[in-house]
Amino acid sequence: MNHLSPEDVERFADGEITDPAIEQHLIDCAQCSSSVLQVVQMKRAIYDTMRDEKPSDALRERVTRKPLPAWWIAVAAALVLVALTPFLTRMRTQPALPELVDMHVTLLASANPVDVISTDRHTVKPWFEGRLPFTVPIPELGATPFRLIGGRVVYWRANPAAYLLVGKSAHRISVFVFRDDQAPRDLRDGPSGVSTLVWRSGGLTFVAIGQVPRDDLEQLSRAFGT
Amino acid sequence: MPLFDSLYRYARSLAGNRAEAEDLVQETFLKGLRGFGSFTPGTNFRAWMFRILRNTFLTSRSGLRAVPLEDEPELEDKFTPETHFFQRANRESLQRAIEGLPVAFREVLTLCDVENLSYKEIAETLSIPIGTVTSRLIRARQKLRVALGAS
Repeated sequence: MNHLSPEDVERFADGEITDPAIEQHLIDCAQCSSSVLQVVQMKRAIYDTMRDEKPSDALRERVTRKPLPAWWIAVAAALVLVALTPFLTRMRTQPALPELVDMHVTLLASANPVDVISTDRHTVKPWFEGRLPFTVPIPELGATPFRLIGGRVVYWRANPAAYLLVGKSAHRISVFVFRDDQAPRDLRDGPSGVSTLVWRSGGLTFVAIGQVPRDDLEQLSRAFGT
Repeated sequence: MPLFDSLYRYARSLAGNRAEAEDLVQETFLKGLRGFGSFTPGTNFRAWMFRILRNTFLTSRSGLRAVPLEDEPELEDKFTPETHFFQRANRESLQRAIEGLPVAFREVLTLCDVENLSYKEIAETLSIPIGTVTSRLIRARQKLRVALGAS
């Protein structure tokens, strides 16, 4: 093919031409490839010379300090929200067990920890009916070292839950029964000085708390038929 | 902020001095952010910002003085790369030569060689046909060769 026109030399150096015929010609023709090389060298030198122009830090500050338009604030707000989401989620699902342990301690210290006092499951179970939007399973404890003391309605985040008080010799164990969708979200175990056990069964969430070995709580949970 | 640096370099190639270039960049950012709603997603954001900067410059005092950018007389001397072999000129003389170029030539060099815009993007930025971009680039480099050859 013919030699590159001066214009094509520049256009090739600028990456504006991707023609295999021209590429082949440049491989074959020392004159044209040297012309392209000169332009490339020149481009490189211009780049090196002008690249150093840097805006001052003062300008950066001036530009970023200006009052920002509404859309920019919206974008910033969205970014902040995204950044905060894990934190907010954590806020909403604060560990619930410490609070339940507090409730356990408070209830035990109160003069009337339970509203229905009965060792008979056939008394306690009907008592909850109409007071709670779900049926509370009351375990048969006859063959276990546990005894039912009574129950009451407690509230968790404005939702009613069942509270059962169970005794084992001198110790007393609290059992909270929540409907799953109203149960505390974060029931991670934490250091509390008492034993806790969480289990789920039949759409309900159970939380047992007591100053007893954890094995006892597991034994109790089995008595609930789970 | 690479766009920030690019805008500044472009502003610097248009405006005569640092302070003016900085004012240009600041105004461009404000206009760009304010007018962001009119930016068509999918089109070249960089070219769009460059165009805002250029329009801002053209309506500024020194910009009005720099106009007309378009009506440079055609170069008389023939394009002959061999006669003006581009030496790796020392930095200062090249910088002087670039500064000595008319704005219209300096800006295409900045956009092409420093900011790496394609001819099409440059055409968009300057609102001129691609053919004009090509010839202006060629003439800009030719002028540099001549200036460096003469120095």
